[in-house]
Amino acid sequence: MGLYSTATISADAVKLCVFDLRRGQREGEEVEKILYFYPSELPLTDQLSVIGLSEGLITFTRIFSPDAACEVIEAERHSHVFYEAEPDVWMVMVVEKNKELEGIWRIEALRGMLKEVHSLFVMFNGSIRAMLDKESTGALIRSHLFSFITDYLFDFLAGKKLQLPSFHDSLQERGTVQMLTVGREAAIEIQSLVRVLESCAGSAGCHSLVLFHDLLVSTSVCPDDTVNLYTYAVLRMTPRALSASGSSWSYIRKGNTAAHLTTGSILPTSSTSTERVQGSRDTSPSGENRYLIARPLQQGKWSKGKDGFLVTNQWGSDMNASFPTVWLQQTKERMYLCAHQHKNVTIILLIPVTSINNAEREIPVLKQQLLENASLKILKVEEKLAKGWGGENAYHVSGYRYLLVDGDRCVSRASPAAKAATLAKESLVAMCKLREEVDMEKSRTKDDDVNHDKDLEVCIRAKNNSWIVARILRGKELYVVLEKANETLLYASDAIEKFSNRYCNGTFS
Amino acid sequence: SNSVSASGGTGVVWREVEGEAPTSPGSSGYAGERGSSNASSASGIEEIGERDGGLVNGIADSQPAWVPGKRHVNEDDASVSWRKRKKHFFILSNSGKPIYSRYGDEHKLAGFSATLQAIISFVENGGDRVKLVRAGKHQVVFLVKGPIYLVCISCTEEPYESLRGQLELLYGQMILILTKSVNRCFEKNSKFDMTPLLGGTDAVFSSLIHSFSCLWQLLGETDDSLANVYVLEASADTYLMLLTTRSDAFYHLKECRASIEAVFLKSNVLSEVQRSMLDGGMHIEDLPVDPTSRSGSASSHLGQHSPERFRDTYTGIGGPCGLWHFIYRSIYLDQYVSSEFSSPINTPQQQKRLFRAYQKIYASMHDKGFGPHKTQFRRDENYVLLCWVTQDFELYAAFDPLADKALAIKTCNRVCQWVKDVENEIFLLGASPFSW
Repeated sequence: MGLYSTATISADAVKLCVFDLRRGQREGEEVEKILYFYPSELPLTDQLSVIGLSEGLITFTRIFSPDAACEVIEAERHSHVFYEAEPDVWMVMVVEKNKELEGIWRIEALRGMLKEVHSLFVMFNGSIRAMLDKESTGALIRSHLFSFITDYLFDFLAGKKLQLPSFHDSLQERGTVQMLTVGREAAIEIQSLVRVLESCAGSAGCHSLVLFHDLLVSTSVCPDDTVNLYTYAVLRMTPRALSASGSSWSYIRKGNTAAHLTTGSILPTSSTSTERVQGSRDTSPSGENRYLIARPLQQGKWSKGKDGFLVTNQWGSDMNASFPTVWLQQTKERMYLCAHQHKNVTIILLIPVTSINNAEREIPVLKQQLLENASLKILKVEEKLAKGWGGENAYHVSGYRYLLVDGDRCVSRASPAAKAATLAKESLVAMCKLREEVDMEKSRTKDDDVNHDKDLEVCIRAKNNSWIVARILRGKELYVVLEKANETLLYASDAIEKFSNRYCNGTFS
Repeated sequence: SNSVSASGGTGVVWREVEGEAPTSPGSSGYAGERGSSNASSASGIEEIGERDGGLVNGIADSQPAWVPGKRHVNEDDASVSWRKRKKHFFILSNSGKPIYSRYGDEHKLAGFSATLQAIISFVENGGDRVKLVRAGKHQVVFLVKGPIYLVCISCTEEPYESLRGQLELLYGQMILILTKSVNRCFEKNSKFDMTPLLGGTDAVFSSLIHSFSCLWQLLGETDDSLANVYVLEASADTYLMLLTTRSDAFYHLKECRASIEAVFLKSNVLSEVQRSMLDGGMHIEDLPVDPTSRSGSASSHLGQHSPERFRDTYTGIGGPCGLWHFIYRSIYLDQYVSSEFSSPINTPQQQKRLFRAYQKIYASMHDKGFGPHKTQFRRDENYVLLCWVTQDFELYAAFDPLADKALAIKTCNRVCQWVKDVENEIFLLGASPFSW
């Protein structure tokens, strides 16, 4: 039954809600505030209690900290993670702490999920506030959020439980892009391909992203937009994502027909119990659905056509349903999202909606042009990249387990997950805690002085003799775990220095 | 009242206070906070920023003496100045009645107090217990002790563990004054107003809160057991503390006061104490440069440094370009020794800042879970901190932020060796650590 039948999920383990503090101000109307609640089966009084506490703490903390309201509540049994996604629109995740180790996580990693799902939502739907302004009963935004966040959470579902980021993910950074390092020759080929791609739609301001496997090769949009598009591509469009969703496709479909997304108790009491949100037309049980909603995060949404273009159906209710669009933050422009795939090269082409009069007619023409003009170049680029490709462990550095983050560019590089998983739990937990400390230092200096980055060097010899190292320098962060290293601090420092010189252009030396 | 209670081995320092401020506050060891109660000066906000804790050790001559007692009684939660104070402490009852507030008048804070109570009981009703709320630079730390709620609201960057420990001490202080029968009072009448019972004890609480920036507070582990402490003012600047866990013995101690004083007079112990005070403490400048030549005169490194010797040894180990400060704790003896503050850690503000940095690295080293880390090297814009935890000792050392790593390690090794050499003189050997 998948995620939609949340009754099977341990109800207490995770709660996630979105609420608007500008709504439901009058007593008895508090339910109006709730825009999304997971699990939706939770009794309304319990939902209201989560939101009541959250709102109370937001108001309370503003007495002392007017610029930064409540970020986290740590209670004995739960962590409550806050994120103000838009002014007065809050997302709160309540996570149960279990006694075992698995319950050790970084608050920032959990907040990263909230940020990610919100950014993706805005990319496809525009802001929550805008949708609330458009339709003030809240039914529209509720329907959208329900399907979107539920689809997003699906990826975290392991068995009957949501598996949230924990200390195992200490050497990963959500909300960043992983880049492919290419040689000079390949870089020139890619540059020339990008020029051809973006000239396809004439003089209109087209943009493009090129990926190889799950790594970004080139982008022509700003870092924030790049992160969103890259995240989405890796979730649903790259060859790995397509094959992953393909294999579970029939399973998902089954789940989908069995359980329509019941918005349940989150809707105002005036709504009837027949109110439903529907994801795909073919499973429509009757005509009682109010909104047809695009579900870009639905599994198996995309498939590869014969011409190499990725296709999707049932994108939405409007005329151009089969041509998905996204909002770019940088230009505040709506763009058609076209994707082409050749072997492991995925090309995302963004065409301004305003430059197209009739999508049904013009986009196929555009695709045809692209094939004619760029096919050869795509082949060539793919060949070059495949030749230089070091495989899954291309960025493994023997003896090191590392994470390198460039916060300004939203780029990260890390040891392959399989390699990081070889570390002892003790080392990973120690790194998780060190990162939490660094997160706090960063947030403290954040507001002080925009131009002043916190520089920090921490080298810890943990009880299991592993070295846990963090280096923060001019907005760049390096985290390294060295197991089986020599016992002296100087040895560990030397090892970091060597790594920095060899793989970080000496940034941390 | 003559009695003070301490939680665990932390040893709350208190003296005989008869409601009023003590006669010589400067000698209590926590003097020297800037902006004392006669703060009628300008630059309100700036001052507020400084007045959140206290001095670590000693007192600069130019600093006005810190006087214990309640501050800013005219403020309440509507005052901007009140909201901007760096560190608030509140004690309230589980019905939301205010019992104590560090700043402002308790009665005016009734509404605020009710809010705190609402937060705690709201979470409790959900089958949980709130520990901490974080918002920007602020932390709100909660501690529930039966019918007594304690809350700290702070933007001092101290770790949660430190703030919680301070609440434990505050609770211990309150129970000392009111005894545990307060719980029974609340059982009988949940609306019971406790503030009159604490009348005149503001100085005690403010002194305690002020002392939260002391070094000993860093190394102390709080636990739930209460000790009775009897404090004797032996001379103008010397106090004798007698500790016991048995309350009957405590009353006995009180009766013995006269005979103890007689022993003091006869034994000449007070002049011994005076002498060692004058001799001074551990100076970083005394640290032997060449560890191989430490034989023979090791004992003379303590105190009594002649200008000559000073010149001999002052070759860059301490001072502006090297070791600034250290704390060495013998785990077996449960005693610690720390150096005097070397340049440039001269002002109370700098000492407090260093203390806070120690607090952080201490919390980081002793995170619950797999047990303490072994070593930590930490460099930020203020310090290089080196921490070393072994089975025998813990060392915390602060260096210039530009200090060379290899040299810092070398110096730490030297400090440890040095302390071991003079261990007989600086530690009380043979004394069993406090354990109850």
